[in-house]
Amino acid sequence: MSQNDDIHRVAPEMAIAFFREILPFNELDDDTLIDISRHCRVDFFPKGTRIFTAGETEITHLHLIQRGGVKAFIEDEHGEVTLKDFRGEGAYIGALAIIRGTPANLNIETVEDTFCFLLPSEIFTKLVEQQPSFAHYYLKSFSEKIVNTAYNELRHHKVSARSGDDLYLFSVRVGDLVKTLRKVSAKSSIQAAAATMAEYRVGSLLVHDVQDEEKIIGIITDRDLRAKVVAAGLDYNLPVEHIMTGPVQTVLSQSLCFDVLLKMMSTSIHHLAVERGGRVIGVVTSHDIMLLQGHSPYYLFKEIRGQQQISGLYVLAQKIPEVIRGLIKEGAKAGNITQMIAILNDHILERMLTLLEEELGKPPVSYCWLLMGSEGRREQTFKTDQDNAILYADPANEEEKKAAETYFKEFATRAIEHLVNCGYPLCPGEIMAINPKWCQPLSVWKGYFSRWISAPDPTELLHATIFFDFRSGFGDHLLAKRLRQHLNEQAKSQDIFLFHLARQCMSTRTPLSFFKNFIVDKDGEHKNALDIKRQGLTPYVNFARVLALSHGINETNTLARLKALHDSEFLSRELWEAANDAYELQMQQRLIHQLAQIEEGVLPDNHINPEQLSALERRMLKDAFAVIERLYSVLDKKFPVA
Amino acid sequence: MINPFKPAGWFSAPHPLLRKNKEFFNSFDQNRPLTEYTFVVCDTELTGLNKKKDELISIGAVMIRDLQIDLSSMFHHFIRPQNLDATRATLVHRITPEQLENAQSAEEIMPKFVEYIHGSLLVGHYLPLDMHFLNKATKRVMGGTLSNPGVDTMRMAQGYKRVQLGHYHEHNPREISYSLDDLGVEYNLPLFKPHDALEDALQTAYLFLFFIKKFRKGGLVTLKDIFQSGRVGSLRY
Repeated sequence: MSQNDDIHRVAPEMAIAFFREILPFNELDDDTLIDISRHCRVDFFPKGTRIFTAGETEITHLHLIQRGGVKAFIEDEHGEVTLKDFRGEGAYIGALAIIRGTPANLNIETVEDTFCFLLPSEIFTKLVEQQPSFAHYYLKSFSEKIVNTAYNELRHHKVSARSGDDLYLFSVRVGDLVKTLRKVSAKSSIQAAAATMAEYRVGSLLVHDVQDEEKIIGIITDRDLRAKVVAAGLDYNLPVEHIMTGPVQTVLSQSLCFDVLLKMMSTSIHHLAVERGGRVIGVVTSHDIMLLQGHSPYYLFKEIRGQQQISGLYVLAQKIPEVIRGLIKEGAKAGNITQMIAILNDHILERMLTLLEEELGKPPVSYCWLLMGSEGRREQTFKTDQDNAILYADPANEEEKKAAETYFKEFATRAIEHLVNCGYPLCPGEIMAINPKWCQPLSVWKGYFSRWISAPDPTELLHATIFFDFRSGFGDHLLAKRLRQHLNEQAKSQDIFLFHLARQCMSTRTPLSFFKNFIVDKDGEHKNALDIKRQGLTPYVNFARVLALSHGINETNTLARLKALHDSEFLSRELWEAANDAYELQMQQRLIHQLAQIEEGVLPDNHINPEQLSALERRMLKDAFAVIERLYSVLDKKFPVA
Repeated sequence: MINPFKPAGWFSAPHPLLRKNKEFFNSFDQNRPLTEYTFVVCDTELTGLNKKKDELISIGAVMIRDLQIDLSSMFHHFIRPQNLDATRATLVHRITPEQLENAQSAEEIMPKFVEYIHGSLLVGHYLPLDMHFLNKATKRVMGGTLSNPGVDTMRMAQGYKRVQLGHYHEHNPREISYSLDDLGVEYNLPLFKPHDALEDALQTAYLFLFFIKKFRKGGLVTLKDIFQSGRVGSLRY
């Protein structure tokens, strides 16, 4: 060993360990890392030291911060200072200037006592030339490679290996799952029984005593028909008692699903009769219980569509997060995930309102259930507030008007209550169909939009923005389409309105950077939580809305709006791609953050603690903030202040 | 230790490397800016703390050029002690007896070290102790001692503390720890694994860099400034 540790062969372990932890050096092999480390120097800059001066310092080394932190800023000829960035441990300084062969482009000053590794610029330049990951990392914010790495990291590190994979099994009782009881007499023919099963699309039937319908004596299943009848060539006209299994194993309706599943697994009996108060009320199958864990959106989808009772939708709606979790694990991206959430929610709504119509009878005039805000944009994450309204066709006369008002009031009241039971909380701003103001005929709705557009009072406009993202959730889609047409015609011609909307959008201050465990804004103010919705996502949503309205684009989804804007050449390809990636990645971050909270049993929120972010996530978020600035400058050009 | 019948250099002239080193420092200019000097920050591991009996078993050193730690030239060697049985310190140092058995002897290592430090100032944390054992080894195998001036980071720490705390606060010096580890924690330096000569040398180098740049910010720009300030360092060890 000692023979090896010659002067020039001693590998600086601490430098290698440092490089292994930071992007994009972590992708280099050990030999390269050792070689790089041996070429490094370590320098110390006490707090308050100016390291680079913009336009002056010729940069000979890439500086990598080992300990401490720096601020980057520019200073104009009047001495006006603009803060550009804060960089902490693991961050680099000087990369761009070295790559471009220019002097420093920013002033760099230490804000703490700072130790840096200094990598000679020749070596760094060589790495950028030879390692594609280096060029990607230092030159392109949203290169495919980095975006993919970020998604993988999110998926692997943030979506926990579920501790309680049988969460539902421990909370749902078998009585909640039981299917409507279907039974036949013991003397019914096999064929008649099979016909009943086919009619009701069930896999099993209970068999009752010939004299006493309440007395369950056995069960037949699809498998019995297959094995004991078809395969054995048995006569279809024989009574079912020949092939039934009896007596039936029963479980109490209040048993936990977990216990029932255990019983099924230990007895190999997959159909159990559920008993309540001494009466058999139905059958539960292993399949029903499996569905509880349902990671598959398809099963859930089928279940929702097949649901015959509104109360049955309650449990199904609660399973959406679990399905979403499965999707995230499988690598689905936020854009697809939020679409899936929207589809599932839409189906719950469709099923619910269909059943509700059956309950209340046909509506006096056609109507459309409008979804607003994030629902309208198909961007809900988990359990977002209800934002809905009813838009109905203009009644022909006073009588019809009265009838419509009465009907939709009752309709809305019940629907909202059911939605609450499904786990969609009430909207604190009362933007719900239950509010008479938001349950109106088309002409009134047109009037609302005309007023918002023609006389934009900034405060009122602030509250009204979510209406501009409306879409049809259920009912007569044509009504929503006509309202959208009206809105587009009005909005396009009203510059003042768009101007206010644009300025309102730009008033959201974007964060600048992360520093240690803080998020820093342009004034150097530190906060210890990032509101990913308000600071990260809303600026994109607002931007897309303003431009979509000003160009008469019908889409409400932010990613779809951005794409439409690019397709009609209102947004450059490069900016569209960056905005698309930045927005979707932040959505993903938010989804995963909220999923983790749901799993911890905490109410989902939008506050992300920088401490929990990896270097890559910080980097991606920081780049996303920078894209917002570029979007704002597009708005600034289009809607200049006088 | 000295065998009168076999003068291993006691009476003979010092090794040429030592003579060259001595000549260099005879005409040594202390008035140049700090950045123009090279420093070698070193740490030694010993068989024990008995100045008479114990020996060097490891030397770790890093070079500071232009007031930056130069990771391209580091020095790290184990030394086979003359008395291998007395390697009690291996318990602390994580050096295994096999490593010492396989190590080169002081006769081989010391000239390399003298060559490595030629023209540099030595820096160490409580340097007098390291110097004692280094000189003991060079005396034995190279017939002379080192002429490199030295800077003790422990003295620098004491000086820095005096400035930091000012004279207004009467403090009990015993309450302040000047151990390498504690200083590293106190000044929020990157931390290294203790009890390895190279890691300790790096830790000392970080500490040295910290102090010297803090002093420089305070207006001490030449080596003489650092020495003369008295409070912060010393040529003597």
